[in-house]
Amino acid sequence: MASALDNAQGQSGSGQDKSSVHSITLPATEVTLKPGLGLDKVRTLCNICHSLEYITMQPALPGATWSAEVNKMIKVMGAPINEEDAKVITEYLSAEYGTGK
Amino acid sequence: MGDPKIKFTRRDFLMTAGIVAGMTTLGEIPGELLAAVDRKNLVRFPEKTDMILLTSRPPQLETPMQYFRELITPNDALFVRWHISQVPISVDLKEWRLKVGGHTDKELLISMDDLKTKYEKVTMTAVIQCSGNSRSYFEPPVAGGEWQNGAMGNVTWTGVRLKDILAEAGIKAGAVDVSFNGLDTPPLPSVPDLVKSLPVDKALDADILIAYEMNGQSLLMLNGFPARLIVPGWFATYWVKALSDITVLSEPFEGFWVKTAYRIPDNPCACVAPGEKVEKSIPINRMNTRSFIIDPEEGASIKANKSVDLKGIAFSGGYGIRDVLVSVDNGKIWSETKLGKNLGKYSWIQWTYSWLPKKKGKYTLMVRATDNNGESQPFEPRWNPAGYMRNIVEKVTVNVL
Repeated sequence: MASALDNAQGQSGSGQDKSSVHSITLPATEVTLKPGLGLDKVRTLCNICHSLEYITMQPALPGATWSAEVNKMIKVMGAPINEEDAKVITEYLSAEYGTGK
Repeated sequence: MGDPKIKFTRRDFLMTAGIVAGMTTLGEIPGELLAAVDRKNLVRFPEKTDMILLTSRPPQLETPMQYFRELITPNDALFVRWHISQVPISVDLKEWRLKVGGHTDKELLISMDDLKTKYEKVTMTAVIQCSGNSRSYFEPPVAGGEWQNGAMGNVTWTGVRLKDILAEAGIKAGAVDVSFNGLDTPPLPSVPDLVKSLPVDKALDADILIAYEMNGQSLLMLNGFPARLIVPGWFATYWVKALSDITVLSEPFEGFWVKTAYRIPDNPCACVAPGEKVEKSIPINRMNTRSFIIDPEEGASIKANKSVDLKGIAFSGGYGIRDVLVSVDNGKIWSETKLGKNLGKYSWIQWTYSWLPKKKGKYTLMVRATDNNGESQPFEPRWNPAGYMRNIVEKVTVNVL
């Protein structure tokens, strides 16, 4: 499948030469999260840096693993999440996407 | 540092940063911007065919297994994996420059024209595989990109040798590492930028390329337009996309994505007991030997007393493939398969085996490859906390009717 740039290079320029610019538009996808206590916090705070499939694609994980992931987001990635919200988010993930352990 | 020449409009920023309150329902997203999603979780992203969606921001797309029937993976089906959300979506080739500098005699600003005319052109077929390919099969499960087996592909790359570029810049005595940065940038300043490094001796390996073509066409935007690093035989974490800066360093590289992320246990199996922590680690590096049965698929029905060709692929960490053995009786008896066209030590090779099942029933097919260094595949899965380097002997169960 030819890229847009390979196709564009055949076009004659008029005025400004645009054929050297290669662009795409990224689509958004709709992510459905399970209803549960803390869902609103998750939707707002976990969506700042990445889409929410990062949550939904995981296999069921133990509570300790979800806690470690949330901690990593805050301590390593610098997510702007305070301690209280971190607790809410971790509890939501453990309850809705956890193994129950 | 992002290239100021990337056209990144406010709408692009909002779409990729996702900092739009309440953008959670279909009605709020302009129709033309919604990826086509069908029930099998397939999406069609720009310049790509229908692929398995892992994440949209940043994009991570997996290749459906049927494409691995081809010796060469089509460009529009090659997997996509970005780490940080601000991925390049518009590049002006007239303005783009690859900057080479640091602990060097000269600083270079290389244009695409320069790349295509000033250096020896090299073409090489090499497997590209994500470090976490097959992570979804780990038991106990590991958090991360939950790939099945589709985060890999076999592509013919065209570009120039990194070695030639570094020779022109002139590496000064005392160089230790070389770092590679791309046009992608983090969503927040606190998120580590995706910068990788290689020890300088490795960086001078004649087989490492700066590629500007994949299968004879310009790189797709999602696969690293306009140029990317190719480190054949090593996992794709090093194959930095949308290259913008190459920096020779006189001190060891301390960046997050090499010092903290992408580490494996420092032992021959790169593994620990399930659930255990890693005592001593090293950066992930060379791929291990893998093979797959592509046909028949899991659960397929096969006619008794009729020859059927079992088919698949095999590859290693740059040592070619010596042989591929197949078993149709869950590993009791192993037979040699016929190997296909050899495109070199970094490419994968196709294998076939003609099977005539006589008795009806359920059969477990297995395949096991060995590379030219004698490295093969384990029968038991190997575990590590990051879910890297899975290379177990693969099984497919079929029904003979």
